[in-house]
Amino acid sequence: MMQSSPFTLSRLIIWAGRLVLAGIFIYAGYAKLFLPNMASHPPVGVALSLFALQVDSYQILPPWGVYWVAHTLPFVEIGLGLLLLIGWQLRVWATLVSLVITGFFVAVVRSYAMGLQINCGCFANPEPLTIATVIRDGLLAALAITMTVLAFREARQPHPWATAQ
Amino acid sequence: MGRLILAPFVLFACGVLASCKDKTQSSEPPATPAPSAPAQAQTAAPAAVTSPGQPTSANTEPAASSKPAAKSNASAPPVAPVAPPASQSVAGLPDVDPHKTRGSKSAPIVMEVFSDFQCPACKQLYLGTTHQLTDNYISTGKVFAIHRDFPLPGHAYSRIAARYGRAAAQLGKLEQVEQVLFQNQEKWEQTGDVDGTVASAFAPAEMNKIRALANSPAIDAAIEKDIALGKNYGVNQTPTTVIHYKGQTYPVAGVVSYDVLRSFVDQLLSSK
Repeated sequence: MMQSSPFTLSRLIIWAGRLVLAGIFIYAGYAKLFLPNMASHPPVGVALSLFALQVDSYQILPPWGVYWVAHTLPFVEIGLGLLLLIGWQLRVWATLVSLVITGFFVAVVRSYAMGLQINCGCFANPEPLTIATVIRDGLLAALAITMTVLAFREARQPHPWATAQ
Repeated sequence: MGRLILAPFVLFACGVLASCKDKTQSSEPPATPAPSAPAQAQTAAPAAVTSPGQPTSANTEPAASSKPAAKSNASAPPVAPVAPPASQSVAGLPDVDPHKTRGSKSAPIVMEVFSDFQCPACKQLYLGTTHQLTDNYISTGKVFAIHRDFPLPGHAYSRIAARYGRAAAQLGKLEQVEQVLFQNQEKWEQTGDVDGTVASAFAPAEMNKIRALANSPAIDAAIEKDIALGKNYGVNQTPTTVIHYKGQTYPVAGVVSYDVLRSFVDQLLSSK
């Protein structure tokens, strides 16, 4: 009978990171496309244009950049979330997730520091950007980076089934 | 393996294609909208909007008395009592003061802008976006705009400015009072001379009427109604634009550029 791989703290963090971040990314992308909080669901084009307004309120990007981000980000979030769940080429997707979520964190910190009175736009609902948003995004970025670093470290070590023999 | 690495790029490409499709739709002239009045707002989700530490949050304590500036008022000659602002239900929305609206009541899209005359972002929205929106969508009957007063307690003079703004609007001078208050915002927020700022844009006789109205309890009550309505939507930051279309409500907080807002409005108008 094949032995299961040893469940170390490092693997626990990687698993937790994959599940938590995948769930958040998939839901965030889905919410931006289908606006589940709304009484009646508007077409995807309207939902993406509404998301564009939220991206625009950050006052970081020019209009063409706002359109581009608003119309690609939800798909990227769903795709990265699914790839994290699958776990194949974890280091590649974990790195991308870390970069994306660090980008979110920087945008949120900048807006909070500038005192912008805006909504976060994270889950396509009118959630205000507050210190709680900053802390939440910071924790998620820390989790993503930790998961990525640990995934690279794990990959350098011999396969657990080989060492368990 | 190589195909997997390509996956995110394929996803990006899908997004870009969707973006191009949406842009094509928005660049086309929107279909003539059916003159259906939006039903009573169904708020999408309660926006428990709080921004701790920010001076423009509605939760902050009052920074100064919100009583009207009495200096100039005291010297104003007595004016005949003026009728309180009449409010009505328009397009399914309650307490709409017809003097504080722009555009056609039968427009398919209704925008309520919760604004504070002392808020710099409101000035930015007004000077940068509202003007273009007025020219291209409000005056063409596609958007009906309602100005809602939402003076934040953290702003010392925003309540007074709202009183003067509302009073001038009763005389059909909404545009002029908004212009003068927003364009001179930095000056009067330093000195508190809202009265003098408004007076610079109006004839003395008109200004006396505005002063009399600004001190009317009915004006205060109308402002309170706007604030209560905003809180009902979950607004406690300014500017917040609440967009109504076909019974759906889309709240948008903060400053948005005209191009992006136009794209959203076009999407709404072209959606079935």
